[in-house]
Amino acid sequence: MKPARVVLVVFLTSIFAAGQNPSYRQDPQWIAPATAIAKANPLAEKPETAAGGKKLFLRNCAECHGPNGAGMEKKHSADLQLPLVQQQSDGTLFWKITNGNAPKGMPSFSRIPELQRWQLVLFLRTLKATGPDAADPAK
Amino acid sequence: MRVALLQFAFLAVFVAIPCSAQESPFFVTYTHHMEEPGNLEIETSSTMGIPRSGQKFYAAPYMEVEYGLTAQWTTELYLETSSVWGDSTVFTGWRFENRYKPLKREHWINPVLYLEFENLNEASRIQKEIEGGGPDLISSNRELRGEHAHELETKLILSSDVHDWNISENFIATKNLSESEGVEFGYAFGVSRPLARLASGANCRFCRENFIAGIEMYGGLGSTLDGFSARGTAHYIAPVVSWAVSDNATLRLSTGFGLTDQSNPVLLRIGYSYELAAFGSRVSRLFGVKR
Repeated sequence: MKPARVVLVVFLTSIFAAGQNPSYRQDPQWIAPATAIAKANPLAEKPETAAGGKKLFLRNCAECHGPNGAGMEKKHSADLQLPLVQQQSDGTLFWKITNGNAPKGMPSFSRIPELQRWQLVLFLRTLKATGPDAADPAK
Repeated sequence: MRVALLQFAFLAVFVAIPCSAQESPFFVTYTHHMEEPGNLEIETSSTMGIPRSGQKFYAAPYMEVEYGLTAQWTTELYLETSSVWGDSTVFTGWRFENRYKPLKREHWINPVLYLEFENLNEASRIQKEIEGGGPDLISSNRELRGEHAHELETKLILSSDVHDWNISENFIATKNLSESEGVEFGYAFGVSRPLARLASGANCRFCRENFIAGIEMYGGLGSTLDGFSARGTAHYIAPVVSWAVSDNATLRLSTGFGLTDQSNPVLLRIGYSYELAAFGSRVSRLFGVKR
């Protein structure tokens, strides 16, 4: 293989395999209101809809959070596998997807239909740490 | 080697990363949904007017390049042309547009401030908005292209997402800086909804979830010189649809029906947009800038 092609393949691979962001810290200003926190996922009894959530995640979120949701250090995006994310209520995650966090670069995804945003929340619950740091998710 | 490096640079910037390209189906009405930060969208569209007696068929193709500077600020450049049947094809000018969303969170009504500088001639027929009495559809390109206009256009965009519906209203005020035409006014509003509420797990292209349908209405509202009035101006009502052709591309179609004598009986619009995710960071990386 020609050197230019090798560089190209390495570059393209690196785009998709960008590093995790285990050092992610939550923005203390990004707090959902109590009414939003208490909202239950209307699809909680339909776990099969998480498959659609995965598709939506890959289309809308993977660009910054990575295909496995582990976040990207370069983009300062959240590692969605971390307990500090997973411990948040469904309503909180839904609110964060809906509103975004403009000062930190997270766009609002209110243009995605409401039930599809709940599908995303359902899929986020399936994210599990897979890397070498999986044993110590707080790391 | 130089060619290979150029190929590499081109691919590094333009290779498509999957991102949601599902666009609002509206051609005229703006919603509060901004371009994602760092993403670049390239769109080619055309406005085609079916003539009334005394008018000629025309097609006005234009290109838009839209970039998300931040989550709250989107900037856009337009280049536009006009072809009139039996007349000529002319370049009609450019527009530079900025939209700023002042509120950081979603609200019942989300305002967006819009400011655009236009360097156009009067042959412009893309009708991205209609203000005052609407465009001159009778004079020839030769007559119109000589009349240049530097215009400053402002819009107040109000937009709401109610469950799966988007409801948007735009109020337009335009000042021609080249001539004393007063301030011209216009409006646009639209309602849209995706055809499916849930996303299927399948990677399908013709699923209902990939389509958004809606209707928009737009027209002129006179000027400070002629009086603020909806009479004697162009007005259209237009069913619209957008289809997410791929993860990066959207096709939009609209058939507008003219409601007054100043309007074309039918105004057809077609647009194809392609979104490049993380364009800004890729360009920065190419030039060795750390972000």
